[in-house]
Amino acid sequence: MVTDTGSTRTAGAARRLNAPRPALVEGHADGTPRRVNRQGVAALREEWRIVDRWWTEEPVDRRYFDLVLETGENVVVYRDGESGAWFTQRA
Amino acid sequence: MIAAVVIPAFDLRAALRLRPALEAVPAALAPLPGSEPLLGSVTAAAEAKGVRPGMRLGEALATCSELVLVEQDPATAEQAWEEVLRRLEDAGFAVEPAEAGTVYFETRGVERLYGGLEPALKRALKAVGPAWEARAGAAERRFAALAAASVARPGQALIVSDDRTRRFLAPLPLSLLPLERDRYEELEELGVRTIGQLAGLPGAAVAERLGPDGRRAWSLARGERDGRVVPRRPAEPLHETLEFPEAVGQELTLRRGLGVLVDRLLARPDRTGRPPRKLALWARLAGGASWRRTITLREPTADPARLRAALGPKLAELPAPALKLRLEVVELAEGTGEQLELVRAEGEVLQGRLKEGLRQVRAAVGAGGVATVVEVAPWSRIPEARALLVPRDD
Repeated sequence: MVTDTGSTRTAGAARRLNAPRPALVEGHADGTPRRVNRQGVAALREEWRIVDRWWTEEPVDRRYFDLVLETGENVVVYRDGESGAWFTQRA
Repeated sequence: MIAAVVIPAFDLRAALRLRPALEAVPAALAPLPGSEPLLGSVTAAAEAKGVRPGMRLGEALATCSELVLVEQDPATAEQAWEEVLRRLEDAGFAVEPAEAGTVYFETRGVERLYGGLEPALKRALKAVGPAWEARAGAAERRFAALAAASVARPGQALIVSDDRTRRFLAPLPLSLLPLERDRYEELEELGVRTIGQLAGLPGAAVAERLGPDGRRAWSLARGERDGRVVPRRPAEPLHETLEFPEAVGQELTLRRGLGVLVDRLLARPDRTGRPPRKLALWARLAGGASWRRTITLREPTADPARLRAALGPKLAELPAPALKLRLEVVELAEGTGEQLELVRAEGEVLQGRLKEGLRQVRAAVGAGGVATVVEVAPWSRIPEARALLVPRDD
């Protein structure tokens, strides 16, 4: 007998690797992150912007921040220019 | 008897399946890019406005300014035709497809199954499905059966007995005969407009004037014997598909995707160890069109490297980025007596262990639990566009 694993993934479909995940970010007035997922930001290592695919129906407008949290963890977050939402992603 | 089932303008009907609203308006199949600008099949509404299949594009648009041109979709048409053939085979008909939209079968066996010739033909029409507006014809000869099906109304089955064949064929137009376009015009200039008029001419004169094709058409017009039905061997429904989250045009990425499909297809247990002889590569393109190429292998093989080498170059012919890639087995060879290796190749034991480990992971987490990373656009500035996770179930 085989137990149902409960998986709903489609066998044939390819998935994106490193897809962005929603993040809880509180920001400073200048838009830089102050807290990420309830952890304080210790240092801002780098900041960059990606504007791409503006000619398509799914334009990309992101402001990325490479951060070091107070716990010592290194995270990369970005703010989506279209929706204003924050995401975390490996850059 | 021999029966023919005909679906007129099959390629156009298949292309219009997703746009049924166009069936009622003047529409025609557009010429393929790079080919002579001649129209393909046309709808009844277009025909009523004077547009004919094979007409020059410019002439057709001058005749009917509201004519809608429908892009050809050969892969969809081929798939739809295969579905029709499978439905007929499932109903017990051993079919011989002539071209998309025309199929023959012997009625002897199925007459007994369905209680007579007419019920068998009705069953065949039912198996095809009412949406296709198929017609059936039956006669002692293939051509007469085809002619009967061609003049029947949608959903009608017309039976022509052997002694009535010549009388039945006589008033029918020459266009039913397999002749080149110029030949019809030549015959019409000579005042020959019906099959009966052609049949009344002396055979030697027809052969001298029109050559071997004309002689054959003359023989068909006289209702002479024209070959038996040779049923096809039903194709194996074996295929693997890979969907991309976004259109992929990179040949390298497509080749990697193809490699995954080859591995998956070869791992299918329903192949029962038989090597593929004929394969088809299909793609759904960005923009909605489809693309298909068929490859017949010189020698049937189940060697993934050889299959990749045979199929890979076809990917360079893709006219646009692909959203979906599918590898189909069109025909499997019978099991060949392959010589086994005396000494197992280096790394084979390790491969075996790895496969067993992956099998256990899959059993624990379900299908799609094991995946390969395929780089799609490693140079992309958008991190999630750089690579894909492609499930491996082999």
